[in-house]
Amino acid sequence: MQNVVLKGHKNGYVIAIRADSKFEDVLAEVTTLFADLQKDKKRDSAQPISFNITTGTRLLSAEEKKKIEDVVSNYPLFSIHKFTSDVMLVQDAIEMVESKVVHLNANTVRNGQIEYIKGDVLFIGNLHRGGILRATGNVFLLGNCEGIIHAGYLSDAQAIIAGNVSKAQQVRIADVVDIISDDEEKMARDSEVVVYVNDLHALDYTERDQVKVIRPKLFAHMGGY
Amino acid sequence: MGKAIVVTSGKGGVGKTTTSANLGTALALSDKKVCLLDLDIGLRNLDVILGLDNRIIYDIVDVAKGRAKLHQALIKDKRFDDKLFLLPAAQNADKSVLEPDEVKAIVDELKPDYDYVLIDCPAGIEQGFLNAIAGADQAIVVSTPEISAVRDADRVIGLLEKAGLKEPPQLVINRIRTHMMNDGQVMDIDEITHHLSINLLGIVFDDDKVISTSNKGEPIVLDETNPAAQGYRNIARRLQGETVPLMNIKEVEKKGFLQNIFSWFKKK
Repeated sequence: MQNVVLKGHKNGYVIAIRADSKFEDVLAEVTTLFADLQKDKKRDSAQPISFNITTGTRLLSAEEKKKIEDVVSNYPLFSIHKFTSDVMLVQDAIEMVESKVVHLNANTVRNGQIEYIKGDVLFIGNLHRGGILRATGNVFLLGNCEGIIHAGYLSDAQAIIAGNVSKAQQVRIADVVDIISDDEEKMARDSEVVVYVNDLHALDYTERDQVKVIRPKLFAHMGGY
Repeated sequence: MGKAIVVTSGKGGVGKTTTSANLGTALALSDKKVCLLDLDIGLRNLDVILGLDNRIIYDIVDVAKGRAKLHQALIKDKRFDDKLFLLPAAQNADKSVLEPDEVKAIVDELKPDYDYVLIDCPAGIEQGFLNAIAGADQAIVVSTPEISAVRDADRVIGLLEKAGLKEPPQLVINRIRTHMMNDGQVMDIDEITHHLSINLLGIVFDDDKVISTSNKGEPIVLDETNPAAQGYRNIARRLQGETVPLMNIKEVEKKGFLQNIFSWFKKK
């Protein structure tokens, strides 16, 4: 039975590798497959071709991928576009879920503490003065926030902070910082606001219904239309 | 088996040592066997407040380093026959000479023989703090109504929660000036307790006599009529599981007011 099958697809050529086959056999078959392709190719025009490789329920290690890539690299006209698989590592899956899900957080973040959240957070706890609430994604606030709120931690300037930030010390998104008490106008607005990084890469405050305009992707992701 | 309680605050000067001394004395008065541990190495005060300073021969560092046996270093307070003991801090060393394990070993050695082991923590959150909380089962966080003290208390509670003591920390609000609190010039008791979100163990009013009695080496608790002493006694009772209502700020204020008028008539 063949371990490696070349298929034509509307998006290009796909090389399907059977998941239960031995890797040595796969490598041998890939080698002969490309040798045959090269022979056929000589008769056709010299158009470069890129292949997608699917591995079914098998995950190839970096070394194994490298071995296949080495075989293909012998042929200047052929290249591998990408490897895909139907499965993924549990660890990667957890990380993916973590970064997509909105985490519910009800902790008390005290002076000097940093609460770090991967992904978005709906914060319903207490953020004391001197405490930092830090998320890699968006921050939605329902709790009492008197400390520092940091969304899009490290570099995601697309992140927003939504909620009442009037009592906070600072709001930060990615690398931009705003000190709340410096702006009396913002303080006076004792209601819910949306904080975002505008086109000039400065923090800006807007009404909640403006999310659709400033972050259409996020708005759609949250189920708005 | 006794209970080890660390008295801490983060900020200096809020009354950790005074609280330790008075709480220890109040517990001893209610017939509990108490050992006070001074961990403010290099800046010891607990012995002075208890009036035991000229009786020190060995200290906690001597015990930890094996230069003395624990019973040699313990100082008995003769006023409370066999109820109150002090293990003094060293004066000629600094906080880094002790390791948390060494302190824990001493506390564990003391616990079977005493009902309460009270540990007086130094200010700050460095080595001295880590040493002090190492052997403790529970913490009492002392704060005053000042914003800086509350902020530091908040920080310390965070560290205590992270350290994972057996029981959650409890709050003592010290040096309450009733007229300022009633006028709303400082945070009130509810505000502080709610902000720190830990259980309130008790409140102590600010009183000149706390200082004057400390200077004489007699803890204020010994003066039964004093409102500050009452606060400490109430805390001691609550520590033993009794339910004691909080002292009323307003009433104290009223009394003070009447006294003011009284003294005003006296002057004339």
